[in-house]
Amino acid sequence: MSDVILSAQSVGRTFGAFRALYGISVDFQRGKLTSIIGPNGAGKSTFFNLLSGAFPPSEGRIVFEGRDITGTPQHKFAALGIAKSFQITNVFPQLPVHENVRVALQALASRYQIWKPRSSLPELADKADALLETVGLTDRRLRAAGTMAHGEQRALEIAMALAANPRLLLLDEPTAGMSPEETKAMMDLILKLASERTVVLVEHKMKLVMGISDRLLVLHHGELLAEGTPDEIRHNDTVKRVYLGQREH
Amino acid sequence: MLNPHLVARCKQHRVILAIAFLVIFPLLMPFKAIAVNILIYGLFALGFNMLFGTLGLLSFGHAALFGGGAYACGLVMLKLGLPWYVGIIGSVLAGMLIAATIGAFAIRTRGIYFAMVTLALAQCLYFLADQATDLTGGENGLRGVDLNTIQLPGFTLNFVDPLTRYYVVAFFVAVALFVLSRILASPFGAVLEAVRENEARARACGYNVRMVRYLAFILSGGFCGLAGALQALHLSIVPLETLAISNSGLVVMMSLLGGMGTFFGPFVGAGVFLLLENLVSLWTVHWQIFVGAAFVACVLFFPRGIWGTILMGRGR
Amino acid sequence: MDGITPDLLALQLFTGLALGAIYVLLALGMSLLFGMLTVVNFAHGAFYMLGAYAGVFLLSIGVNFWFCLLFAPLLVGSLGLLCERFLIRHLYGRGIDYPLLLTFGLSYIMIEMVRILFGTQGLPFDTPDALQGASDIIIGYFPTYRLFVIAVAIVVIVALWLFLERTPYGLIIRAGARDPQIVRILGIDVARVWLVVFGIGTGLAALAGLLAAPLQGASPEMGSSILAEAFVVTVVGGMGSLVGAVVAGLLVGVVVAMTSLFAPEFAQVAIFALMAIVLLIRPQGFFGRAGLMS
Repeated sequence: MSDVILSAQSVGRTFGAFRALYGISVDFQRGKLTSIIGPNGAGKSTFFNLLSGAFPPSEGRIVFEGRDITGTPQHKFAALGIAKSFQITNVFPQLPVHENVRVALQALASRYQIWKPRSSLPELADKADALLETVGLTDRRLRAAGTMAHGEQRALEIAMALAANPRLLLLDEPTAGMSPEETKAMMDLILKLASERTVVLVEHKMKLVMGISDRLLVLHHGELLAEGTPDEIRHNDTVKRVYLGQREH
Repeated sequence: MLNPHLVARCKQHRVILAIAFLVIFPLLMPFKAIAVNILIYGLFALGFNMLFGTLGLLSFGHAALFGGGAYACGLVMLKLGLPWYVGIIGSVLAGMLIAATIGAFAIRTRGIYFAMVTLALAQCLYFLADQATDLTGGENGLRGVDLNTIQLPGFTLNFVDPLTRYYVVAFFVAVALFVLSRILASPFGAVLEAVRENEARARACGYNVRMVRYLAFILSGGFCGLAGALQALHLSIVPLETLAISNSGLVVMMSLLGGMGTFFGPFVGAGVFLLLENLVSLWTVHWQIFVGAAFVACVLFFPRGIWGTILMGRGR
Repeated sequence: MDGITPDLLALQLFTGLALGAIYVLLALGMSLLFGMLTVVNFAHGAFYMLGAYAGVFLLSIGVNFWFCLLFAPLLVGSLGLLCERFLIRHLYGRGIDYPLLLTFGLSYIMIEMVRILFGTQGLPFDTPDALQGASDIIIGYFPTYRLFVIAVAIVVIVALWLFLERTPYGLIIRAGARDPQIVRILGIDVARVWLVVFGIGTGLAALAGLLAAPLQGASPEMGSSILAEAFVVTVVGGMGSLVGAVVAGLLVGVVVAMTSLFAPEFAQVAIFALMAIVLLIRPQGFFGRAGLMS
């Protein structure tokens, strides 16, 4: 089988009269950590949303593991093996942390069981505990998710994304709004995850992803400006020009 | 936020507590018929609450489910000549079927559209029932839904006696409460919570939110249909008004007054509404103004309803 | 089908247009309130009813019908202003259900107030003398009053269009609907815009009720049944779309009229069947914005 896990083929998107993305064609390699970067307004979020199934592209195709998944509704992505985290933290705020993960796990196990109690699925609770440990939230398990610190909520989101046991993990600005300590913890976590599965990140803090990415995609004004290894991108004149004036964090 | 420990303990035993309360309830009321009505409308509001309290879907057409169940029970007994308990089963099925039909159209819509579509489709059923006079009795309603005695192994229950009638109705309501608590405690119940908390997140986890809503609608229909059957047996008649907008509006009012999203709120709401109606109408025939004003006050100041506000207060 | 001549069909079409005119006025008001304020006015039927009763009241104190056309909507619209200012405004942040529920509760109160003041029985409403009888409209004789209703609707549609599209205030209203923040930054009092929009919306409903009164009398319940029909029109036309309100209003009116000709028992049901079909094919309505649905 080829090494390409996800392929965007001439993918574009318009919103009414506004064109957010021009035909982007790019392949994502299995097992690698790819980061999508670009200045604000480059179309990164739109591209991310297309890849993660939030809405379909206006043109082009998206192919996952050889299957055309263009236009597949959002709720089918988890079963396909693709999981995402949102740009703005999106958890179940009033539910306990443990329940957040448990219910994410339940989606692939039993959805419409109306008679037996939840305790009849103990394996879900155990797996939830394991996932919480992976992201370092074990001592938060009974707290209401919405009362946690921002960084912890983002970690929870990652745990929920992992519940689908995804082969492809899509993360939208995972360190947004985090303190330096939280950022470091998140980056460590992402590296750990990247060793087991394919990870695609969207970030606008270029410095953060330079060190950890296998590949970089640079978007600008809705187009693919450049792609390559961090070294190649670092020495790419066009990219340097575009980022001139953008403060590096 | 509710105090988790207190509420958890009450929740564990809430069905037992409820049954205990149900047993003594008629003795607290000015007269038995009110107690029966509170139970019937409380159950109706409970079914409604499944959609609104649990999922935030505001339906203004729930009279179709309630009335549909009532007519189904009556028709099973009168046209098919089957016993009353088959009528009850028929009413639950009818409620679910009507919900499945209305839901097939309405679930495609969101928010305010949902309210309008459910209202309009319920009106449709109302007009159809009005026209089908051979079947439903049209304007005069379906008459003769009589239940006088209930034969149980060993003894007979006199349904005509108000207190016995209350306990029979209470029995079905208790069963319904039990079923509801099972549903809420089930994996599906967890899905309902998740969808209410954050729909986008639920979808990303892999839940088909539309299907979840549709199923909740159908379950809601089952409860409302049962309530309708109980009313048919209680009144011995199914008036056409059972399907009218006013009835849909009534259950919305009761739910909000009591408190959506709580287990007993619907019954509190039904109780408050019916007691207000009975007490205020002793003084003036225009009791609706007071209920309307109370409702407006709730919307503005007590969005959690009476029971919900009490629960919140105790939780601190 | 003997006896159904083209002329008869055409006349029935006009009946549909007259009925549709009422629907259009209602739907315009409702769409305005939703499009500009995101408020679903469950009291819209009650305001409609108040319009009819305002007419009854004004006539009883000697105001002639022509002035009623102006004052009844003004009176009721003012009540609408008060409701917006003191009740509905509190709920704007809270989610789309709350104004809906509030207006629903308001309708209860309004209907009961009318019962207290005017009694629970319906009241007759005479067609003004100048508009009685029938006029020759080439294809046959058609009730003059119904022609008048169609004419009023046309005038109102044009006036509303001119107001929204061609006047500075209309521009502000439309801008406020799109982006209240910008309007505020420009120094315009957004609250006053809301107030005016609510007044216009409810005033339109009242006008519809007043026009309908000679056709069906005035009763406290007249608003409840027409509310469902107004919702159908809005769903079919597209919530928030004024063009949709006009097109759908006329369409629904014609559908009802035509069904009354061929299958009178199902005239009412036909409206809802139409809505069901539209929902299946195009859930956002003919002119609605797709994002409003799932």
